[in-house]
Amino acid sequence: IYICLQQGSVDNNHRRSFLLIKQRVKTPDAQSFGVANYPPPPLCHLHTTQKQTEIRVQFSLRNRVIARLQSFVLQQKLPNMKALILVGGFGTRLRPLTLSVPKPLVDFANKPMILHQIEALKAIGVTEVVLAINYQPEVMLNFLKDFEAKLGIKISCSQETEPLGTAGPLALARDKLIDDSGEPFFVLNSDVISEYPLKAMIAFHKSHGGEASIMVTKVDEPSKYGVVVMEESTGQVERFVEKPKVFVGNKINAGIYLLSPSVLDRIELKPTSIEKETFPKIASEKLLYAMVLPGFWMDIGQPKDYITGLRLYLDSLRKNAPSKLASGPHIVGNVLVDESAKIGEGCLIGPDVAIGPGCVVESGVRLSRCTVMRGVRIKKHACISSSIIGWHSTVGQWARVENMTILGEDVHVCDEVYSNGGVVLPHKEIKASILKPEIVM
Amino acid sequence: MKNSEEKVVAVIMVGGPTKGTRFRPLSFNTPKPLFPLAGQPMVHHPISACKSIPNLAQIFLIGFHEEREFALYVSSISSELKIPVRYLKEDKPHGSAGGLYYFKDLIMEDNPSHIFLLNCDVCCSFPLPEMLVAHRRYGGMGTLLVIKVSAEAASEFGELVADPITNELLHYTEKPETFVSDLINCGVYIFTPEIFNVIEDIHTHYEDRANLHTLSSSEALWSATKTPAKDFVRLDQDILSPLAGKKQLYTYETMDFWEQIKTPAMSLKCSALYLAQFRHKSPNLLACGDGTKNPTVVGDVYIHPSAKVHTTAKIGPNVSISANVRVAAGVRLMSCIILDDAEIQENAFVMYAIVGWKSSLGKWSRVQGEGDYKTKLGITILGEAVTVEDEVVVVNSIVLPNKILNISVQEEIIL
Repeated sequence: IYICLQQGSVDNNHRRSFLLIKQRVKTPDAQSFGVANYPPPPLCHLHTTQKQTEIRVQFSLRNRVIARLQSFVLQQKLPNMKALILVGGFGTRLRPLTLSVPKPLVDFANKPMILHQIEALKAIGVTEVVLAINYQPEVMLNFLKDFEAKLGIKISCSQETEPLGTAGPLALARDKLIDDSGEPFFVLNSDVISEYPLKAMIAFHKSHGGEASIMVTKVDEPSKYGVVVMEESTGQVERFVEKPKVFVGNKINAGIYLLSPSVLDRIELKPTSIEKETFPKIASEKLLYAMVLPGFWMDIGQPKDYITGLRLYLDSLRKNAPSKLASGPHIVGNVLVDESAKIGEGCLIGPDVAIGPGCVVESGVRLSRCTVMRGVRIKKHACISSSIIGWHSTVGQWARVENMTILGEDVHVCDEVYSNGGVVLPHKEIKASILKPEIVM
Repeated sequence: MKNSEEKVVAVIMVGGPTKGTRFRPLSFNTPKPLFPLAGQPMVHHPISACKSIPNLAQIFLIGFHEEREFALYVSSISSELKIPVRYLKEDKPHGSAGGLYYFKDLIMEDNPSHIFLLNCDVCCSFPLPEMLVAHRRYGGMGTLLVIKVSAEAASEFGELVADPITNELLHYTEKPETFVSDLINCGVYIFTPEIFNVIEDIHTHYEDRANLHTLSSSEALWSATKTPAKDFVRLDQDILSPLAGKKQLYTYETMDFWEQIKTPAMSLKCSALYLAQFRHKSPNLLACGDGTKNPTVVGDVYIHPSAKVHTTAKIGPNVSISANVRVAAGVRLMSCIILDDAEIQENAFVMYAIVGWKSSLGKWSRVQGEGDYKTKLGITILGEAVTVEDEVVVVNSIVLPNKILNISVQEEIIL
């Protein structure tokens, strides 16, 4: 590890006289460690054989210490790690939203779902992400071009011509996932949101020396899922039990894996389930380890969980980056508002609300526990709770929208209308109240 | 004295995507005018009827679907009929009469003496040559095809009053709340080119138009300010109503069948009506068989030549099977439409349903509807690529594309 310090406007007295002492540390981007704030010394290289996370550096001028860089946290730069995101199919559970865009592009907390994961991967140094898709590749690929440029990460698609299950896509993308470096690669499930402690997962993987690591998360009702039974102290996985009838454990598969390249040798290019076939085999050889996911976890593949997931996500944002949340007399609890959105007078927004780009919320509006997507207009005096309002829709004056109402793209709820759990497909106008949950095609 | 050089053109209004949400979920995969009824695309039936018009010069399809959706069909039907058929795309909806005016120059290219205007989503016997004869006799500017229906049904349509002797259109009102007449507008018209002058007058006087009617939801969706745009002209409210009683418009009554195809359920009913018409006019198009070399066929059935149907299957009445469908042994199909590439496995049962393209019905599966064409869940509709697993029962439900049903469902919409 070694550090490059950039040269800026330098006092001539100091320019060429800096010597570096002992350790040499390099990072790709010195600015991110606040080094730019210090009197910039000339370019120099620090090398170390130790993988330290904290370091102090002294600069001497003619044997007098003239500056000390404070301790800073170094990222261990990973050599070109890769990741696969299982995007899968039609996203039918998130209809009517997925009738307009493929599921990974459905916005969550004002960002396409998949962008949350791609950003988390980029932050820990993943340089290439492969999306395993089997639906609408053209739409995905267009969108990805924008992101590749903005994020500086390579994104490619691996398209299934027949459904390959949850393990098959890994075999299909084999050439993109492994190279000679022998580095492990991540596999993420695109429906999942969490805090993505991927760095800790890498450390865990390296420490146990096994072949595969999976994140597990604690849930209240484990029998709805596949439970992972593991040895508590080491995390070694004993077995998987699908929807157990008696209590065997309360940790379930969180859909985040870190796999050594040898796992790919176990997967054939045919429809295969990673939970039912691949992982149990690795577990029987005592090479599968599970790490309990710290922080929140949610599968937001269906509307009810999407709304709960937003609450968890905004909670986490409150702890980690509270400046991103909105504040003000009209805000209650955790609310995310895009900077291009406009909010009128006399509104009460929150808790757990996300308002997307270009939205207009007129005066006297009450929003709680809802997502308002790009380009939506909420007219005066309306009241919305526990609902999702799709792109470019409008909600009329004095309208009341609640109880898991999901409006698809370009849906217009007329003035004074009440929707109790209406699920409305795109390009519709709602002129009459929906008194009990109903699908409007 | 009939001029043998007089040319006639036909214009078929085919609508567009943002308007027809009532045809979902089938409209997700195909524009409504191309949905098959009795084995032929919906628009094919009025086009075929146009064949019998003497001196037909051209057929125009006007709508706002994407051109590429109609390109293939239009070129194949043009060569089959040996008459030019063209699809003209409106840049935005102009209303039922505005669209006609928008393409006036193309329509008048051959200087036709008469212009037929048909709605694509109308299912009837299209007595077009007889209408032309009657129209010439009346000598007016336009003639409407009309039919008597029950008094309750009448309020869903345009009701009109006609003089019983001269057949002149005396009064016209669209979807009235109280009873006006049991005679309704079928959506099939014939006009002389004077119609264009009438529409042009509407353009110039549009501010004077009485806005007594509330706009239909689709029209309200288009106009941002909730007042009709200058070039948006509706045939019924803006032309038929004002001109009624002025000795310009006449009626021609049909005694045959007539339905509007607004929903998938109605397309099933109309498919049966067209199959019955085939029985009279072109019985060679229908299938027959007695279980020896061909499957047993009951009533009116259409089977595409490329479909494979096992000889022990029993098909009919009122069944339409599209291209590349595979029907296995012991299957029973009644009152249904099976769309392209579907697969129906052994001993399955289908009744009052539409089975979507590339769908798959498992062994002993049962897909059925009640047969009520008017209610929302009166028949079962399976969208594209729906899989119904073995022994599963699906009753009175609508299933959107790409779903797999592994448990039985009743009266549900599955997104």
